Amino acid sequence: MKLFERVILRLGQDSDFIRFPTTMAGESVILLGYQTFFDFAETLRHLQAQSARIADTEWEVTPRLIQGLGEFLDNPDADMLVSLVLRGQLLIWFEARDRIISFTPTARILSRSIEAPITESVVRGSISAFVEDIDTNIGLIRKTAAAEDLRTHTYWTGADKQKQIVLIYRERCANPRLLEGIIQKLEENLGMNVQNLQNLSSMLGFNPWTGITKFNSTELPQEVERALQKGKVVLLLDRFPFALIVPSLLTDMFAVENDRNYPLVYTYLTRFLRVIGVLTNVIIPGLYVSLVSVNPDMLRIEIALTIARSRMDVPYPSLVETLLLLIILELIIEASIRLPKSIGPTLTMVGGIILGQAVVSAKLVSNILIIVLAATTISSSTVVGYHNSLTIRVFKYLILFLSAIFGLYGLVAGLVLICAYMASVTSFGIPYVHLMRPNGDANG
Amino acid sequence: MRKRLLARVSLLLLIVAAMGILSGCWDNKDINHRSLPVVMGISKSEDLYKILLQIPEPSQTNNSGTEFRFVGATGSTINEIVDRIGANMETQMDLLHLKVILIEKAYAEEGINDAVSAFMRTNVISPRTMAVICDEPIEHFFSKIKRYSRNNGTILEDFFQFDAGWSPQVAQSRIWELFRSVHSFTHDEAIPIIKSGSGTVIETMGSAIIRNGKMVGRLSANETLLANIFNGLNVKGKIEVMNSATVQIVGNRIHNKSSMENGIPVLKSTVHLKVKLLEMKGNPTKEQIKEQLQAILEQRLQNVLNKMKADQADILGLGQLYRNKLKRDQLEAWRSQYLPHLKSDIRFKVSIESEGELKMGA
Repeated sequence: MKLFERVILRLGQDSDFIRFPTTMAGESVILLGYQTFFDFAETLRHLQAQSARIADTEWEVTPRLIQGLGEFLDNPDADMLVSLVLRGQLLIWFEARDRIISFTPTARILSRSIEAPITESVVRGSISAFVEDIDTNIGLIRKTAAAEDLRTHTYWTGADKQKQIVLIYRERCANPRLLEGIIQKLEENLGMNVQNLQNLSSMLGFNPWTGITKFNSTELPQEVERALQKGKVVLLLDRFPFALIVPSLLTDMFAVENDRNYPLVYTYLTRFLRVIGVLTNVIIPGLYVSLVSVNPDMLRIEIALTIARSRMDVPYPSLVETLLLLIILELIIEASIRLPKSIGPTLTMVGGIILGQAVVSAKLVSNILIIVLAATTISSSTVVGYHNSLTIRVFKYLILFLSAIFGLYGLVAGLVLICAYMASVTSFGIPYVHLMRPNGDANG
Repeated sequence: MRKRLLARVSLLLLIVAAMGILSGCWDNKDINHRSLPVVMGISKSEDLYKILLQIPEPSQTNNSGTEFRFVGATGSTINEIVDRIGANMETQMDLLHLKVILIEKAYAEEGINDAVSAFMRTNVISPRTMAVICDEPIEHFFSKIKRYSRNNGTILEDFFQFDAGWSPQVAQSRIWELFRSVHSFTHDEAIPIIKSGSGTVIETMGSAIIRNGKMVGRLSANETLLANIFNGLNVKGKIEVMNSATVQIVGNRIHNKSSMENGIPVLKSTVHLKVKLLEMKGNPTKEQIKEQLQAILEQRLQNVLNKMKADQADILGLGQLYRNKLKRDQLEAWRSQYLPHLKSDIRFKVSIESEGELKMGA
């Protein structure tokens, strides 16, 4: 048959593509599919068992039995068959009858099993994290959310509709405007290739230059559950072990669901601590520069003298000094992400030596600056989510430069600028500084 | 779209460039390139000012304390002298950290108006800087404190700090308060007087009554304490010695009632004092202690008032109470016409809050 040959022509040159002639229920059939997607031997055994069961059935009399094998394809075209094969289906072609069945084979396991989260550690709470397999992820969410109004929509995106995006929301809770907006954008841009979050972001029509991430990504189903309850919408990408929560709000920087596994007092104290962490990280380098070079009169005389003493013989102005070390710190952070876990400690050690003592005794920077930058780096990690800590890390430089130029006025002006910017960001009509809370819940 | 983006980006670049070019940020000097004098001494002889600065010298070589440099110069105006000293220093002179201005007594008697207004005008000195009168030649005083300041660089500052070594019988006066006293009709200042001590670094000598920027009289330490109470300073911790007992004041509250009778100001005041018993001589009763304390305080305050009347200087700011009862031209004559005739009836009401850990008579 022309159609089947066309499929073979398009995919046949792949070495893992199989064309396996066999007989089922006395009919000669050809099996088509990628053997890398499924366990071929197991699938074959399964098919043989099925075929023994339907051996005596007449096609015309009891089509249901045969339909039990898989989906009958009426009027298929080549594109459809190719895309089915690419999604891991096995095509069974009954040569004599010219009928095609799309059979779901025993899948090969191409994902990790469910493990503890790698980027978000949980101290007290559920520690199952998402994996690459999208169905597992949906299952995890269904299991955690346990809500009957949980809805999922699958979108096949990309030029040849091979990439799966799943939209999850709760019918009763979801913000209708947000949901409509996302569905509309997804349907409009189905043809776009989505390989990464930048693609997804342009698919949803977000400005690519935004300084604040529009997706709050999480590895934990319980975070997703809470977000769904708050009326947010969750996107899952196939082969992406994070759930993407839209919109990402300011509160996501300070609050994780896991906080609620402690007494309420500690929930609030922890969140307050994170706010302090963010402020410390953003303000302190700028404060150092402005106090040292622009407004030393704001310091107490004792500390002014101490700083002056520690800066003796330091050749650079405080801005250059601070930038120098900040860049080294950024390099260390970047390098420790890049390096394999086995070499990581070496880097920490070398970095520690460089920053701890050598740089000070070489009189390149003052030792007060080391304290300042240690505080900065530590506090940049208190913020929830690596994507949020990036934002904070960048804002820090804005404040730093403004402080170097205008002193404390610049610092305050920088904070105002950042606040204004954050207030200006919206996604699908929801402002970034908005507090979304579940219906009937007093504290978000 | 692309055009608009380009316009936006170039506007942003322009702003950033303007920020760099127009801000003057290259004038910012790092803290280790500034000299931060903490004490300034001023004296004047034959129309020439003499200025001494105590400048801490950060040095990394010894961790035992701060080295100090004492520099001085003479000239016709204060700013000129500071400028000249600054020109000779290897770092930029930055007076913003100046904590104490020591004024030689002779100069204070002559009048410090010019200096005070110079400080206020240039704004290179914080208006919160403390003004202190030195009862001996400035050079002598400086050479004395030089010996001690190796261990504690901020002796003089600490002496006047509320949260450090300040004690309630030392007056508090800032440069801005002096400036106010120069220009106010109804408010004068008491400035602490110190000199170098023998055991301690500094010895307090009571305070000076300043009228219109001129030192016109003196108050003893005990009288200064009373003035501080009357001015509403919280003078907790002060010990008052009497014939029969020693008490500590733990709280004070003043109620003033001012009126004019036939052109004469009349003041009725009640000072409520809460005290704590510290020490007793013999076995006085509570009532006796109270009465004695009240009598002593009333007597002392009367002394202060008499001095104020004699010097025509309103260090308690009593004239403030008549601001709404006198016209402006009358207020102008407050010190000379009204204050000397002030009829005052000031009562002290003492309540003994605590007898300490022991019962009375124990």
